[in-house]
Amino acid sequence: MSDRYRTLFAKTALITTTALLLSPLGAFAQATAAPASSSQSTTSASKDRWLHVRVISSDAKGETVRVNVPLELAEKVLPAIHQDRIHDGKVKIDNAHMNDVDLRALVDAIRTTKDGEFVTVQSNDCDVRVAKQNNHLIVHVLDKQNSKKSEVEVKVPMKVIDALFSAGKDELDLVAALHALSAQGDTELVSVKDHENTVRVWLDSKNVTD
Amino acid sequence: MMLLAKAALGLGGTIVLAGAYTMREGVIRVDVDEFRSGGSHVHMWVPAAAVPMAMHLVPDKHWRHASEQAREAIPILHAIVKELKKYPDADFVEVMDHDQHVRIRTHDGKLQIDVDAPDEKVHVLCPLSTIEDVTIQLEEHGPAA
Repeated sequence: MSDRYRTLFAKTALITTTALLLSPLGAFAQATAAPASSSQSTTSASKDRWLHVRVISSDAKGETVRVNVPLELAEKVLPAIHQDRIHDGKVKIDNAHMNDVDLRALVDAIRTTKDGEFVTVQSNDCDVRVAKQNNHLIVHVLDKQNSKKSEVEVKVPMKVIDALFSAGKDELDLVAALHALSAQGDTELVSVKDHENTVRVWLDSKNVTD
Repeated sequence: MMLLAKAALGLGGTIVLAGAYTMREGVIRVDVDEFRSGGSHVHMWVPAAAVPMAMHLVPDKHWRHASEQAREAIPILHAIVKELKKYPDADFVEVMDHDQHVRIRTHDGKLQIDVDAPDEKVHVLCPLSTIEDVTIQLEEHGPAA
């Protein structure tokens, strides 16, 4: 090998070594730059259904709470919890807390009944409406007691309620309810508005809140 | 010069390979700052790949003790981590008010917990695969194993 080639090889080796040693810095720089692009993705795989909870308080502290839970994750994790009344994704309900109301019979009655209004209360203090509409159980409460009104609306698909009561007696099947919920389209489940707080619980396919 | 170049190439290659192996699973980062008298300040940066190696050095009796202590939490933790791996980039919990900010999310396959409050700052970043490795070890050393 001539001196010229030896020098060329030596230089090439030194440059390669320097490049090899510096390459992790480049990778690190790319890794730190990555968040900007990855955070752009707001919609996860289409099969994923996310349950979102958002609480916005307009008081002096201005608290905001955002919780996003993939339904599949909740479905898989719940059966692993064995504490107090929760076992295998089911929660035991105590007759003592039901004031002798046969909840299962009540659900059966609602299921078999046609769409309509079950309870309508209108007073100076508050309006209450419980209805079945388009296979959804709807509860609407408007509190007019204070000068600042508060409004609660709960809308639960009947299939979810059926699944919830599909377990044995005195049990609520949370996993079955979540599974039924995951089959639903984008929907708002709970909405609470008063002069200080806004609460929303809803279901969609996005992995972040708006 | 030839000898120097060969030595440099060998050394450089070894360093890069060792670095790549050590960093292949990222790093575990823990930063805790308590802003009060006597408050602790912990700043730790550990290559995640070192954890499985270090776990082999932990005596069995310590594993059994830890496993017994965490008996109820292990199946839940295992299920959570297994599922979280399906969501490598997602925000799960965020709580904000005028002077506090708490965030739990996954980012790039790592669990990230950030607490920013006037009296303390906590930042934890840990690869999900490392948490899974630890839970598997705890399960294997549990009473049922």
